[in-house]
Amino acid sequence: MCLPNKKLRQPCGRYRQGKASANSEITTIPSVLCRISHPISALTPLTFGMADQKGTKRSSVESDAQDSKRIKTDDKPNPYLAHLNMDGANDFKSPLDEMERHNTTALQAAKAEDSDINPWTGKPHSENYFKILKTRRDLPVSKQREEFLELYHKTQILVFVGETGSGKTTQIPQYVLYDEMPHQTGKLIACTQPRRVAAMSVAQRVANELDVELGQEVGYSIRFENRTGPKTLLKYMTDGQLLREAMHDPNMNRYSCIILDEAHERTLATDILMALLKEIAHRRSDLKIIVMSATLDAQKFQSYFSLRKEDPPAPLLAVPGRTHPVEIFYTPEPERDYVEAAVRTVLQIHAIEPEGDILLFLTGEEEIEDACRRISLEVDDMVRESDAGPLAIYPLYGTLPPHQQQKIFDKAPEPFRKGGRPGRKCIVATNIAETSLTIDGIVYVVDPGFSKQKIYNPRSRVESLLVSPISKASAQQRAGRAGRTRPGKCFRLYTEKAFKKELIEQTYPEILRSNLSNTILELKKLGVEDLVHFDFMDPPAPETMMRALEELNYLACLDDDGGLTKLGSLASEFPLDPALAVMLISSPEFYCSNEILSITSLLSVPQIWIRPNNNRKRADEMKAQFAHPDGDHLTLLNAYHAYKGAEQNGEDVKKWCHEHFLSFRHLSSADNVRAQLKRIMETHEIELVSTPFNNKDYYTNIRRALLAGFFMQVAMRESSNSKIYKTVKDDQMVMIHPSTVVSSPYDWVVYNEFVLTTKQYIRTVTNVRPEWLLEIAPVYYDVDTFEKGEIKSALVRLTEKVKRRQAMKGGY
Amino acid sequence: MGLAGAKNKRRLGNDPNNNRWMRNTESFGQKMLRSQGWEPGQYLGAKDAAHAENYGAASASHIQVTLKDDTLGLGAKRNNGDECTGLFDFQHLLGRLNGKSEEALESELKKREDLMMNSYLERRLGTIRFVRGGWLVGDVLKKEPQEGADKGEVNGAQKSSEESTEESAETEASEPSDLPSKKRKADEDTEKDDEKARKKEKKSKKRKTESDVETDSAGSKEKKDKKSKKRKVDSAESDTEPAKSEKSSKREKQKSESPEEEVDTSAEDAKRAKKEKKKERKEKKEKKEKKDKKDKKKKDKPVSESGSEAGASSSKEKKRKKEESVTPAVESDASTPTASGYSTPVTTNTRYLARSRFIAQKKMAFADSAALNQIFMIKS
Repeated sequence: MCLPNKKLRQPCGRYRQGKASANSEITTIPSVLCRISHPISALTPLTFGMADQKGTKRSSVESDAQDSKRIKTDDKPNPYLAHLNMDGANDFKSPLDEMERHNTTALQAAKAEDSDINPWTGKPHSENYFKILKTRRDLPVSKQREEFLELYHKTQILVFVGETGSGKTTQIPQYVLYDEMPHQTGKLIACTQPRRVAAMSVAQRVANELDVELGQEVGYSIRFENRTGPKTLLKYMTDGQLLREAMHDPNMNRYSCIILDEAHERTLATDILMALLKEIAHRRSDLKIIVMSATLDAQKFQSYFSLRKEDPPAPLLAVPGRTHPVEIFYTPEPERDYVEAAVRTVLQIHAIEPEGDILLFLTGEEEIEDACRRISLEVDDMVRESDAGPLAIYPLYGTLPPHQQQKIFDKAPEPFRKGGRPGRKCIVATNIAETSLTIDGIVYVVDPGFSKQKIYNPRSRVESLLVSPISKASAQQRAGRAGRTRPGKCFRLYTEKAFKKELIEQTYPEILRSNLSNTILELKKLGVEDLVHFDFMDPPAPETMMRALEELNYLACLDDDGGLTKLGSLASEFPLDPALAVMLISSPEFYCSNEILSITSLLSVPQIWIRPNNNRKRADEMKAQFAHPDGDHLTLLNAYHAYKGAEQNGEDVKKWCHEHFLSFRHLSSADNVRAQLKRIMETHEIELVSTPFNNKDYYTNIRRALLAGFFMQVAMRESSNSKIYKTVKDDQMVMIHPSTVVSSPYDWVVYNEFVLTTKQYIRTVTNVRPEWLLEIAPVYYDVDTFEKGEIKSALVRLTEKVKRRQAMKGGY
Repeated sequence: MGLAGAKNKRRLGNDPNNNRWMRNTESFGQKMLRSQGWEPGQYLGAKDAAHAENYGAASASHIQVTLKDDTLGLGAKRNNGDECTGLFDFQHLLGRLNGKSEEALESELKKREDLMMNSYLERRLGTIRFVRGGWLVGDVLKKEPQEGADKGEVNGAQKSSEESTEESAETEASEPSDLPSKKRKADEDTEKDDEKARKKEKKSKKRKTESDVETDSAGSKEKKDKKSKKRKVDSAESDTEPAKSEKSSKREKQKSESPEEEVDTSAEDAKRAKKEKKKERKEKKEKKEKKDKKDKKKKDKPVSESGSEAGASSSKEKKRKKEESVTPAVESDASTPTASGYSTPVTTNTRYLARSRFIAQKKMAFADSAALNQIFMIKS
């Protein structure tokens, strides 16, 4: 606490000047998280036999130690590696030989696929391969392979529209593979997915389809997992992952073709990638880009991807999906209570409609659980009093543990007796069932027209997660879920008039709804200077950009001219929000980087506390065991330490978590995140230190370190004994979220998030002393920049007090 | 909600929108943007972008949110105490004063009355169900209706809304004490209707009268609900037909209750009848076109609007068959009657309904001395 005055500067300032030893490496060392295997060296066993044909591939064989160990790079077959060569592989003529890159036809590709020998591995195809191949050929997209190739050869950017079920995600990358010949060029094909699960499962599927091992020719790369190898030709990855790679490879030189899948979902990363790729396309005419989307806004993509203004819109290829018609029903009048109406509709469908599963969309966990309860009560009654069939009800929302999420794929229950009324299942889901998940067998969709959306308000810096009407596009998407297996019905619990008048056309893309400070930092790192004229598909509001820039400037990630500082560059290496990253980077100055690292990981996973409805009291008691009176952050840390302790004692951690109402899943993923972050810290030589636990400053240091990143998220109590706080500078009235364990909150608290649910709440708070604010963030807490008000006068008083104290000290 | 409603107090700060920050031109963010050529009021994004016309309001300023802390359905308005209740009987008059057209008023009135009736019946009586008995075409009973008949179309209007598992028409028929005079009139009407129906059927075997339609829907529902063996139905058709016509006649009667309308109403009816006939003729000629029109009317939108035209006809055919089996709830047309402004009528839960019936039975038993004697095994 009594650090010499000079050290009391904003800790980040140190990095502004630059710490030569640590920072010189920053630019050269790729982050662990996004480290990628070396460019493929194109040496599959197959290439032994055909080594003489193409000279190009030799050149790409570099001194890849790992590679040369396994595979011989000479023309002559190595006798010691004979086991690698399949029988006759040496004389094998690859079906790809006759094909010329960027000049293949569907016929040639089909022939290559039909051959007995896998052109990618040189091994014979398995039986299963041909079985899958047959089903693949039945996919709608397969009929347009020739058309696709022709367009692909002609243009650099192609917009591809395929409805769900067309097979685009699995097939198009393979079509590209057979045309792009990545083993010749040494350049990969990338296919991005908005979700990690999708990237993993699709990669697995495609590996099966190509009859190769996952992680070899086909791999995937997601935030905390990289399953690619030197042989990888086709890589599925999350869009965020590709963006991270772009930071170190601004021209995306590793890739010859990039496929953006599910572009219509418009995730933040996809939006940035699109803008980036558009730019790269100018520089690299050999890079091919395919944007795959659902039907709805294809034109928007087309006009966006005309490279120059005078160019015609990007060419479009559309493939019909495999969907059945869905009949839509509206209510004649608005509903008074949409939950009630939804429950009734489900029951009615169950009572009257023929066989088929039901999908009901609701907004949040609580509502879903409530609806499930009500439906199951009523169905019990129905079954008891009439001949109704069994109805299995499954909730589905993001925070549900995976084994429960898996249940939705269970078969509908059997009828009670043979020949009785059919059983069915009813899935009550949030909008994750809208796009992310496909559940077969759904015939009836009940759509009340609401969803919860996260929206960031740059003015008050509050993030709201509120129930709001969905968009027309999303309503259609929901309805479409009913037509996957056979013609279905969609019951909309609103009038047609409401559909036309009250719903917006498209759901807001994420870029318009989020805090952009992380994105801006990434863009800066990517070398984008002119943020104002960066070619967004949907430019964010200027206010949002302003706020992000301002935050980055206060965090010292951007200097006063808008340039990226050393600290900013370092912070961008962490897959974290800038505030968290800065906190982590400056934590060694407070002698608690180990602890801050734990807290950071805990804050970047979902809530670890479990509070089941039927056992709230017990859960609260358990939480109280870990409680630290001074802060929720510290409570988190205590829980984590206890968890690690239990793990070390060799206890059954799962059981332990269950007993203590902690989420094992989230704790272990926090553990994983921690390990990843730790590796990044080690790479960048950020010290991992701790204050001894019995030192009285142990917790104080942590609280101070929190402020190093979160000094902009501080609130001051309005008046003593009041429950209302005011956020610093923005003057928003907030209350501390009831979930807090802080028993006697101080006048000043630092908070992790500011959310608008039913009220404006600050969540995860920790007591801080105002003197620390002046010490740690003197720039932000410069009294002159404050507007007249309680906070300013409090700060003025404080400054005087501090001065007096120093004068007294000086007097001694 | 007035005084009785829940209090919902919220304190707002001096500057909830933080306009002060927005106006501060000295902030780092604003300085940066301006230095790169941005002016207030402009969008971000590439200069003269081809796709600039697609920019929405959300690109100009942040997205405004509204706090929704109730379960009010989409499009429903909360009664804030500024809506008068009990204006039911004056709606017609008020509507006329507001310059609404007679036709609109008619349909509104019909809606209201139907809803009142439906909710009354639902409250008061249970549901009576019928078994599908096939189609009487000429003199022959057929299992499947003939193609082209617009079954399951018109009935939407008569169906009650969301929750109406009950079949208003049938229940009405079984209503003993309710409005006897109407019933008499209804019977007359029924005969007339029947006659008409027969004639028309002879003319064109394919055509279905409204009453047939009603029967069909009743039947379809019936088929699914095997449970209802409450009533033996000799011929679903003959039973429901009068019911249906009774209902319509009742409506007429109700309309004519206000004397000033009487003339209009009858004229209106005549007009409508004419129109209907015309329609029917047309129908015969161009069945398919009609179907499309009705589809539109029904507001069913096939989800695949872009679906191929070729497949459309066949899929439509299929769909029509489906429609038969549709839940009345959801099938109900826009003209479905409602008065409360909501399509879910305010009813007690079915569980309560059963319970209340049980209580009523008990009460009756208590009132009946003979029954009491039996219960307590007293020999009188």
